[in-house]
Amino acid sequence: MFSEFLKFDLRFQVRAPLLWIGIAVFALSAFVATSSDAVQIGGSIGNVNRNAPLVILQFLNSFTILGLFISGAFVGGTLLRDFEMGTSELFFSKPIGARAYLLGRFSAGVIVSVLIYLGVALAMMLGAAMPWIDPARLGPFQLSPFVFGLCVFVLPNLIFTSALIMLFAATMRSMLGVYLAIMAFLVLSGVAGSYARDLDNLWAAALTDPFGARALGLTTRYWTAEDRNTLLPELAGYILANRALWLSLSAALIVTTLSVFKAQRAGTSARKPWFGKRAGVMPVEAAPTTTRTPRLTAAPAASGFAPAFRQYLKQTRFDTVHVLLSVPFLVMVAFGLLNLVFSLDATGPMYDTPLHPVTAQMLEAIQGSYTWLLMFVVMFYGGELIWRERSARLDGVTDAFPVPNWVPLAAKATALVAVVAIFMLVGALWCMGYQFLKGHHALEPLLYLKGLSLAAAPFILVGWLAIVFQVLCNQKFVGYLATIGILVSWMVLGTLDFDHNLVAFAQAPATPYSDMNGYGHFLVGWGWFQGYWTLFTLCALLVAAAFWVRGTPEPLRTRAEVAKLRLAGRPGALLASGVVATLAVGAWILYNTTMLNPYRASDTALDLQAGYEKTWRPTEGLVQPRIIATDNTVQIYPEQRRVTIDGKYRMKNKSPQAIGELHVYLDPDFKDATFSVPGASLKQHDEVNGMRVYAFTTPLAPAAEFDFGFHIDLPTTGFSNAGNPGRVHYNGTFFDNLGYFPHFGYQRGIEIEDRNERRERGLGDPRRMPKLETAPRTETYLSDDSDWIDFKSTVCTAPSQIALAPGYLQREWTENGRRCFRYEMDAPILGFFAYLSADWEVKKDRWNDVAIEIYYDRKHPYNVDRMIEATKKSLDYFTANFGPYQHRQFRILEFPGYARFAQAFPNTIPFSEAIGFIANVDDEEAVDYVFYVTAHELAHQWWAHQVMGADAQGSTLMSETMAQYSALMVMEQEYGPHRMRKFLKHELDSYLRGRGGEIIEELPLDHVESSQGYVHYRKGSLVMYRLKDEIGAEAINRALRNYIAKVKFQEPPYTVSTELVAELRAVAPADKQQLITDLFERISFYDNRAEEVSAKKLDNGKYEVTIAWQAAKKLSDGIGKESDLALADDIDIGIFARPKGGEEKDEKVLYLKKHRITAATGKLTLIVDELPYDAGIDPFNKLIDRVSGDNRKRVTVEG
Amino acid sequence: MLTIRNLSKTYPNGVQALKSVTLDIPNGMFGLLGPNGAGKSSLMRTLATLQEADSGEAQLDEIDVLRDKDAVRRVLGYLPQDFGVYPKVSALDLLDHFAALKGYVHKRERKEVVDGLLQQVNLWNVRKLKLGGFSGGMRQRFGIAQALIGSPRLVIVDEPTAGLDPEERNRFLNLLAEIGENVVVILSTHIVEDVTDLCPRMAIINQGEVLLTGEPLEAIRSLEGRVWRKVVSKDELPAVQARLTVLSTRLVGGRPVVHALAESQPESGFERVEPGLEDVYFGQLTRHRAAIAA
Repeated sequence: MFSEFLKFDLRFQVRAPLLWIGIAVFALSAFVATSSDAVQIGGSIGNVNRNAPLVILQFLNSFTILGLFISGAFVGGTLLRDFEMGTSELFFSKPIGARAYLLGRFSAGVIVSVLIYLGVALAMMLGAAMPWIDPARLGPFQLSPFVFGLCVFVLPNLIFTSALIMLFAATMRSMLGVYLAIMAFLVLSGVAGSYARDLDNLWAAALTDPFGARALGLTTRYWTAEDRNTLLPELAGYILANRALWLSLSAALIVTTLSVFKAQRAGTSARKPWFGKRAGVMPVEAAPTTTRTPRLTAAPAASGFAPAFRQYLKQTRFDTVHVLLSVPFLVMVAFGLLNLVFSLDATGPMYDTPLHPVTAQMLEAIQGSYTWLLMFVVMFYGGELIWRERSARLDGVTDAFPVPNWVPLAAKATALVAVVAIFMLVGALWCMGYQFLKGHHALEPLLYLKGLSLAAAPFILVGWLAIVFQVLCNQKFVGYLATIGILVSWMVLGTLDFDHNLVAFAQAPATPYSDMNGYGHFLVGWGWFQGYWTLFTLCALLVAAAFWVRGTPEPLRTRAEVAKLRLAGRPGALLASGVVATLAVGAWILYNTTMLNPYRASDTALDLQAGYEKTWRPTEGLVQPRIIATDNTVQIYPEQRRVTIDGKYRMKNKSPQAIGELHVYLDPDFKDATFSVPGASLKQHDEVNGMRVYAFTTPLAPAAEFDFGFHIDLPTTGFSNAGNPGRVHYNGTFFDNLGYFPHFGYQRGIEIEDRNERRERGLGDPRRMPKLETAPRTETYLSDDSDWIDFKSTVCTAPSQIALAPGYLQREWTENGRRCFRYEMDAPILGFFAYLSADWEVKKDRWNDVAIEIYYDRKHPYNVDRMIEATKKSLDYFTANFGPYQHRQFRILEFPGYARFAQAFPNTIPFSEAIGFIANVDDEEAVDYVFYVTAHELAHQWWAHQVMGADAQGSTLMSETMAQYSALMVMEQEYGPHRMRKFLKHELDSYLRGRGGEIIEELPLDHVESSQGYVHYRKGSLVMYRLKDEIGAEAINRALRNYIAKVKFQEPPYTVSTELVAELRAVAPADKQQLITDLFERISFYDNRAEEVSAKKLDNGKYEVTIAWQAAKKLSDGIGKESDLALADDIDIGIFARPKGGEEKDEKVLYLKKHRITAATGKLTLIVDELPYDAGIDPFNKLIDRVSGDNRKRVTVEG
Repeated sequence: MLTIRNLSKTYPNGVQALKSVTLDIPNGMFGLLGPNGAGKSSLMRTLATLQEADSGEAQLDEIDVLRDKDAVRRVLGYLPQDFGVYPKVSALDLLDHFAALKGYVHKRERKEVVDGLLQQVNLWNVRKLKLGGFSGGMRQRFGIAQALIGSPRLVIVDEPTAGLDPEERNRFLNLLAEIGENVVVILSTHIVEDVTDLCPRMAIINQGEVLLTGEPLEAIRSLEGRVWRKVVSKDELPAVQARLTVLSTRLVGGRPVVHALAESQPESGFERVEPGLEDVYFGQLTRHRAAIAA
């Protein structure tokens, strides 16, 4: 019987177009994605091959998300077809088992779904074999990843989705049920996603993701390019557990379906329906008919707009109530809320430390947790509402009423607005409650209104277009398919390097909110784009009204004729004016986004970069005079978002040869700029690339100086397509000289870094930092314009704001109604300075003779004192251990959270509102990154602003790694060693993950290149902490002090990392020299694990603990190929007790001592006083170990 | 007075649903009789503005039915065949909604209309119950209530009695009978008794063609003395059917009873019976079939 159903269904599906359409669509997408460069599903970047096994797995896996729709159609659709067409009764009246019926349908659904994925796999193989694919990016063809992916991910995922959908379809017997299942599924994934950010919940994250994508991601998160190119994950650990869990859950779902399912008519079961539209025939006795003369009532109101409008209101209410009170809607709202609850509780963006619940964060959480859910809700209800009458077979009645066609259409469109509004309202209320409970009592309902209205617009537009599609297609599923086409169009446009919002439906520039700057200037561009799309959608709705189906559906040709008739006269005029208005707004947008502001599709921008490199690279190395002093007058007009710069550089020929030409670079988008170069004339102006060449009448002699003057006017006009935040704001301007000021000579920074993009444009390998061994050391890695400069500047701004630049305030005055400040530096600084302007609160304090000032937004007072505290403690430590602070002031300045970083300029630290000012570090366990970032940036006053490395590999060791080390030391003093563990755990995780994302090659710390943040920050922390653990902070600081004394404020040749390493070697004992080699000059790893840990209670009440371990040290090359290294390392062996029910933080150290480990296996027997809980090798993960979780093992107590 | 001239409709799949239908339908109850698939619903839906005709004219007094749809909808009451309801909405709410759609946009006015209709169709006591719980008869009465909103001048009821038990059918026909003589009421049905009981005028339609139009009594009179009846055995039946013009065969107590058309007694054993509308109906269909076959 089962096989009969299976065969019948398979025959049916194979003959139905849906399967073939599905295969075609999926295979085509897979082919396009694998054969075009634009798409990077699966993570084939850098050294990872396009057909690397892991790429194939991730690709197949991400396609199974779409499989929801497949299962929905093939399993859900098949079952529902029976219920809806009434054929189920034909089946159920036959002597068949429900089991055979369901399992047959189910298996057929799964089998045809698998067919689709076979199509995907074939298309992927074909795509990778296309002749235009760069063979350098392909590894040898392997079948096994496809087999693995299909068996381990695709098939189980399809079984699960099918089982879930079958349960809902069979019990609720409606498309809504299927939709609910899909929603539930998406929410589950979302929940898993919010878990995954927390390092302590890895297992939860791995298990909760029904697709297994996160399990795969976690398993392979530390994989290097080599691993990705060659390995398949083992079917073990996270992956095995996840697959087993979801397969058994699938089995449970199937069993549940079989036991709940009754092979009978819907609604006749004695059991109460879960919910949904079921109600048997109620025995209602009608009173006998009395003969009565018919009441002939007055004829209804006259025709015209007014009554029609009232009909619209009535219909709107009718439809809205229907949707809002329907159980599925409530369930979906509940899903949305659930998602929101989880994302609110999800930990913060850095080090799992939470943020204060400011409204901006709440808005972000609402948007983040609704995105897909609400998109599907509006798409679904768009269809439901349009088909409501017809689904109930009521269209015959309603269509014959004297109602204009626009009335039901407009009513349904309005009902959709209500759907979106309810979601937003529920989210807002929840968040306000959350804020209130968290003690954040300054609620901002108006901000919610504003923010959520902005967020609602695209959902409403998509819903409306869904309505239009449903009307035009006049077939529910085709309509849904067309609607999903909107999503597809977004993805496709994104990959085609054509990302103008004028062609991507309902898209507009982002409107980030900042407490400092509100919605800033973003609303204007957003408004025009959204206005454009709204007009577009309204026109589409008008067309839909013309095509509105009344009565018997006619062929499209007839409908078109009818539509033409309906559009005659006023509606047509309205449509025409709507189209004109849309085009007019579109033209205005085009003018603003392409004429007033540059628009470059991503590949155009890259072409421009390539053009610059091709034209100007030959001039690289041309000796240029260097800046030795600068004095600028900067006018900031925050209300106009305009900046003018009157700059003066004092230039000097520091080279031994005469200089004939001055090559000046300024961003080519800065059109309004003039330069004055005394004694030189403009020889060439390359407007496209922003290069001007001045020829000196008489070449500039060695040591000769001159003043280079410039005037730059940077007005803001109109709005741009991308809506990039930019740097000049109504409140919270922050820009630096790197982006806004002229530079000299060839600008290496403009070169394309991506190897593959370069290859496509006929450029050679990406530029690397000069080799450590051969670098000329004539420049710092930060700038080739200058060494140490004298800095003076005047900066003016609006009267309500404070303007800031590095240096000490000399004078403040008012000029032409504007507030002006004069800053001068008393000592030379690096040629790296910033300008800021905002309306700040200022908190001042002192440390000895250093003035501490925190400039912050009045909404964010939370961490100001902590920053001051961190500053004082850092100054204590750094001055005592490294040497004197070169300035008499230290300032932290909050800037809008459009970017998330803090940056150290001389005595001036711009600090993003998003990372430090709203972090909530009150929790004892939280990593106090406010303290850490403050200490890190302050440390840069030594490690960058005193010691500056040459433009050579390894130089960020002296800036970033040392700043990390300095901050670690201050943090350890403040919080104690045990609180460092969480921080270091994150650093280890970031380092290991960073290796996997490496696109060139990983380098040892002393050769680190400036783009390798995961090495100089993350590995740097681990290396320095390990070194401190082994040779002590005192020795390290002695070395650093010596080093600083030798190299600070150095002129060329600049220092390189080998000099620092040499200082460290000088203070390290002989048996730690190998350690320094391993840490700084190699990429080395440990693979340590506790094998067996047992304890025996002795007669004297003590415990004898035996620990057996395995240890290994590995050497890795740049892409992750490993080889063995000889072990001769001092490694901690530890035994720990834990109070009953206690956690790791409550543990007590029973034994902890370094042992010299030289063999791959070892065993130790020790006596401890208490009952041990666990024990192991390197229990605190001080060593870089790719699997850090197996270093400890629970003690088994014998006897 | 509804006049229909040369109304034709061919569906995209080639089925010719209406073949130049011409009818004059005066005020009062008009029965449209025809087998399943005769084109009754196509005609009804066309008159109810739910379907376009390929050609032809239809005029309801001064209204051009095929073109001025909005005007038709204002005076139309339509009860489609096999219509559904929103199961979770109460009769009162849905009728109120319909009244608004009909044009009663003012609440008080609407309430009066709705309450009146609910009483008229005897659903007043159950008005607050969900429609999903209604029996077929109640649902049909709800259907006629909505069709009567706004005192329509043209009432179209499509197969309203199909599936109703005799009691509900009577109740329903009584309701229809009340509608009055000053409006055009078209009742389409394949049940001959519905027409006999209610309609002073009728038309028989098959395969898109009007076979007969007129008064039922007159049509019956035309068969006076020409209908013969005989109880035959099952074995005889094919032979009888081959020899004679058989109007209908039906089982009475398990034995075939044949009605045949003949000027005089066709064979022994046949006895003359009073003709009924059913004989007219079957006679028309038989003749039509023969005409097509020939």
